[in-house]
Parts: sequence; structure tokens; C-alpha cells
Amino acid sequence: MLVAFVTNGIGPFGLKVLTEKHLDRYESQYLIFWYLGGLLLALLAFGFRNLRFSRWEILLGTAMGFGSLGGQFFTGKALAAGIPGHIAFPITTGGSLFLVALAGILVFKERVGPYGLAGLVIGILSLIVLSLG
Amino acid sequence: MQAEVLVHSGNVYMVLAVLSFSSIGAVAKLADLKNSRPSTINLLLYLSSFLVLVVVALVSHSAASPQIVKLLALPFGVCSALAILALQTALRYGNISTSWLAINLSAGIPTVGSILLYHERLNLRKSCALLLIVVALALLWKDKKMEGTPSR
Repeated sequence: MLVAFVTNGIGPFGLKVLTEKHLDRYESQYLIFWYLGGLLLALLAFGFRNLRFSRWEILLGTAMGFGSLGGQFFTGKALAAGIPGHIAFPITTGGSLFLVALAGILVFKERVGPYGLAGLVIGILSLIVLSLG
Repeated sequence: MQAEVLVHSGNVYMVLAVLSFSSIGAVAKLADLKNSRPSTINLLLYLSSFLVLVVVALVSHSAASPQIVKLLALPFGVCSALAILALQTALRYGNISTSWLAINLSAGIPTVGSILLYHERLNLRKSCALLLIVVALALLWKDKKMEGTPSR
């Protein structure tokens, strides 16, 4: 989880660098190469040892891809439609955290202890405050 | 009237964005339950996204960009794929509810990076948020530790 935490935090920082270099008009082109970088790492990790994909792997892997693209696309559309960033970002971040936690507990029947529940509430709150900037 | 319609459609887009982002976490858990290989899921995620963006760029004739944009995007994309791969692997040993939160709390890293590298001002809200992130991570760590402690 530490690797996931650190690398996930570094991943989006490129957009900040892009903006600082006044290249943010190339955001969609940036995303193509951002996903290409991810694809190269994924190919390396995959290793081509077993080329047989199960039906579930194809369905779920592709669904995650569309989820990732859809999230970015619809956030962009919401901002373009006049929803201010200080409303759009806390809602998309906090909302997705809340829904996934809810799905984990109610749908997947995960057991979360009192410290975990407190962490969830404070964590969602922290990201909402962070998105408000 | 037109502005009202625009904001209304913005709300719909926002709900769709929440559902899209949430689907990544929920589907990652489902993939784990279906014994999917993390490396395969990661490969298909990035392959499908990349192909969709390439098709869109080709159709809209908007693929051209300076070399620096490409060089900048690649390593950050690698980091992101490593994160998804690590999360998918970690799900075998933990909950999606707390793992998804932990990975999202890393949103504090770009904030710290912006403060350190670009000397962005650290206001009261950001300070509170970063402090809360540390508290949340400590609570999640404590929860994980308690999980491993046998009950008497």
C-alpha cells in the first residue's frame, strides 16, 4: 500500500508541472502519453508469461479503463458547464470515496473496525478540505 | 435560462464523474474476488484507455504536441500504473474501503510538491487538510494493526 500511496500521489503531479510550464493547452495530448507510459509499465509487469485472458479479466480491466477515462472526461465537462472547481473537485473526490467505502461495507461485506471507520470519516473530510484549497 | 440549463447539465456530469471514479474502486474489488491477475487488469486498463484517446485524437486531428509534453507525461504515467498495480495486489490482503481511502489520501503529495517546488502558499485550509490526512493515515494504520491482533 505504501508503493500505491506514493506512486499514486506522484502520478497526477505532472499536470501541475505542465501548467507551471504554460503547456496546459496540450492537456489532452499529455493524457495520451500519460496513458502510454502506464501501458509500457503494464506491459513490462505483465511479462507475457500467460497470454490467456479470462472473460472476467477482459471485462473488468476494460471497465476500469473506462472508469478512469470517464472520471476525467465528466469532471472536465462539469467544469466546462460552469460548475466551479471548489464544488466539482470536493464532490467528485469525496463522493467516490464515500461510494466505494459504502460498497465495500454493504456489497462486499467487508468488516471495518472503529479506527478504520474514524479514518474513513476523517479521510473523506480531509480530501474535501484539500479540494477546497 | 441558458445558464440554468448549463449548470443543471454540469450537475449531471458531476454525478457521472463520481460514478466513474467510484467504479474503478468497486471493479478493482470485484476483480480481486474473481481471482483476476493484477498485471492483466492493469494492462487492460491502460490499453483500453490509451486506445480510446488515440482514436479520439486521430478523429479530431489533435495529436500533435511539443516533445516536452510527451517526455513529461511518460514517467508520471508509469508512476500511476505502478499505483494501480500495487493497489490491485494489496487488495488480496486488505479491504477496498480502507485501501481506496489510503490511495486517495495521496492527493496530499502533489500539494506538498507544489509547496516545496513551486513555493505555493500554505494557507489554513491546506494546513488543516494535510494534518487531517496524517491523522486519517494513522487511524487506518492502527485499524490494520488491530486486524492482525487476535481478540481475547
